Amino acid sequence: MATSWVLAEYGDEAALCAAARRLRALGHRSLDAYSPIPLHEVDEALGLRRSPVPLIALLGGVSGAAGGYLMQWWMNAVDFPINVANRGFHSPPTNIPITFETGVLLASLSIVIGLIALAGLPRLHHPVFEVEGFRTASVDALWLSAEVKREDEEAVAREMEKCGALQVSRVPEGSR
Amino acid sequence: MSEQAEPRHMRERELSELLEGPPVLVGSPEDRKLNEDIFRPVWEQTRRGWLALFGITMGLTGLLFSAIAYTFAKGIGAWGNNIPVAWAYDIINFVWWIGIGHAGTLISAILLLFQQKWRTSINRMAEAMTLFAVIQALLFPMIHLGRPWFFFWLFPYPSALGTWPNFKSPLLWDVFAVSTYFTVSLLFWYVGLLPDLAALRDTSKSKAARVAYGIFALGWRGSARAWRHYRIAYLLLAGLATPLVLSVHTIVSFDFAVSQLPGWHTTIFPPYFVAGAIFSGFAMVLTLMIPARKVFGFKHVITQRHLDNMAKVMLATGLMVSYGYLTETFIAWYSGNPFESFVFFNTRARGPYAPIYWLMITCNVVVPQVLWWRKARENTIFLWVVSILVNVGMWTERFVIIVTSLHRDFLPSSWAMYRPTIVDWSILVGTIGFFGFLFLLFLRFVPSVAASEVKELRRELEHEKHAQSHERSAHGS
Repeated sequence: MATSWVLAEYGDEAALCAAARRLRALGHRSLDAYSPIPLHEVDEALGLRRSPVPLIALLGGVSGAAGGYLMQWWMNAVDFPINVANRGFHSPPTNIPITFETGVLLASLSIVIGLIALAGLPRLHHPVFEVEGFRTASVDALWLSAEVKREDEEAVAREMEKCGALQVSRVPEGSR
Repeated sequence: MSEQAEPRHMRERELSELLEGPPVLVGSPEDRKLNEDIFRPVWEQTRRGWLALFGITMGLTGLLFSAIAYTFAKGIGAWGNNIPVAWAYDIINFVWWIGIGHAGTLISAILLLFQQKWRTSINRMAEAMTLFAVIQALLFPMIHLGRPWFFFWLFPYPSALGTWPNFKSPLLWDVFAVSTYFTVSLLFWYVGLLPDLAALRDTSKSKAARVAYGIFALGWRGSARAWRHYRIAYLLLAGLATPLVLSVHTIVSFDFAVSQLPGWHTTIFPPYFVAGAIFSGFAMVLTLMIPARKVFGFKHVITQRHLDNMAKVMLATGLMVSYGYLTETFIAWYSGNPFESFVFFNTRARGPYAPIYWLMITCNVVVPQVLWWRKARENTIFLWVVSILVNVGMWTERFVIIVTSLHRDFLPSSWAMYRPTIVDWSILVGTIGFFGFLFLLFLRFVPSVAASEVKELRRELEHEKHAQSHERSAHGS
């Protein structure tokens, strides 16, 4: 199926959200908004669900801490018991610092890897980059994009203009 | 703005400055203007001053690596430490650098969670400083090993020796703490950089810059679908970094406190080390930021307010450090332990290294007291000098802790003096150069103020202003 990307720039957050709501009401689901800073209303306008990052962090942290503890227990008490001043081979208090550190390490790594994967990065080339004006999205402009069927392109572009877009561009997929 | 509105506006501004101190952002620059201001050091022609400093620090970096190469070739005997002073510049410098590396994460993470507005616009530089300081710190444990090419024996890997590291040793906790701290600081810094790297890619004039920044930006588009994950990821990283930063210097202090040496074996060590780390870290941030904001014209973004607050944090943590000195001295007397008392009342204050001890007291206890005065905090040159003295003071603190405790062993027959060699000095001076070298590269290639976060701050401040003016008009009617 031939698709097309339609991009529109908006002057403020309210106009952007209104346009997103309008397009969603018309049945378009592949919408996205672009801004130099995180916006708060947009999530609701685009119908985005809560991020699973906290869950990923929790899983990473728990497995890091558990793994760290088990590693110390197995290495110093089972596989190669080390007698330090006749303390127990399995010595919970001295295991605390490394358990904490490995927990934090794995939680942080899973947050960042999770973030990159969920955001669909790294992706150095993307249809939105075809539009020269889109360079402003990281500086001071707000953009809305819709990925639509080729035959809907015209109608969506018109709808975006009606919602007060400052400029509208179209990028047919495969035009590169 | 009409002419009549001007005086009233001015009055309001003066009043708010009196109540809350100077603003965290001067004026309300547009996003585009902010980007231009903050990215100017990246896009402009290389300055002569920068090149000169770059040359000097590169030379010192060369000195550092030559001294390390010499140490590797000759062995640890190239250094001044020997029994009884088996730890000296290697561990002094390690603890000093890792302490300096604490302010970055404190500013970025703890102040973010406390929603301190003055954190924005200084966090990027402080985080970079942290990373580079931790790199210097990481060098020392590695080069002070007798056979540094076996440094990987520190890590638990299934080796042909069939053994595992001893996890009951604080020295091994240190390996995990410091390497975790470096990794998490790097991740936090990089995640914070993503939006600015994308902005650099999009404002670049040359293809090479566009491709280079484009690769580092990973194709960040500022999409709402990505921001949704980004916001929470950044907050969670801050939440994790907060206990982490406290754990790192705590564990470093265990290296000392867990041993039985007089002057090391005290329970005050963990909090006292953490306070000292933050103290020296803020001092280093000020040392770097005061010249950088002047040279790059960031005075409207890094305002007097930021310097003032950092000076206050320095004063507060300096007092905590002073309290630490007081407590350990009191306990030495109160415990009635003759060895402990000997270290505090004889060796440190009156022994052969007494001048260094008193230099420490001057720099860390006496000098910061001038920061009680607003005039002292407002004079940037004065503040800069204070920050350097604090850096010196914190270095001498580590010298006092390590060398004075070791050089007077339990038996007077084992007493000996420690004298650093030229190799010791070269490595210390070299790390300062290498640190400066990395920091200069950072200033040249990466925006040293987080543009995307300052944009967010501007919006927040405008919202606040709106809310306030609404409140006022509601009261008036």
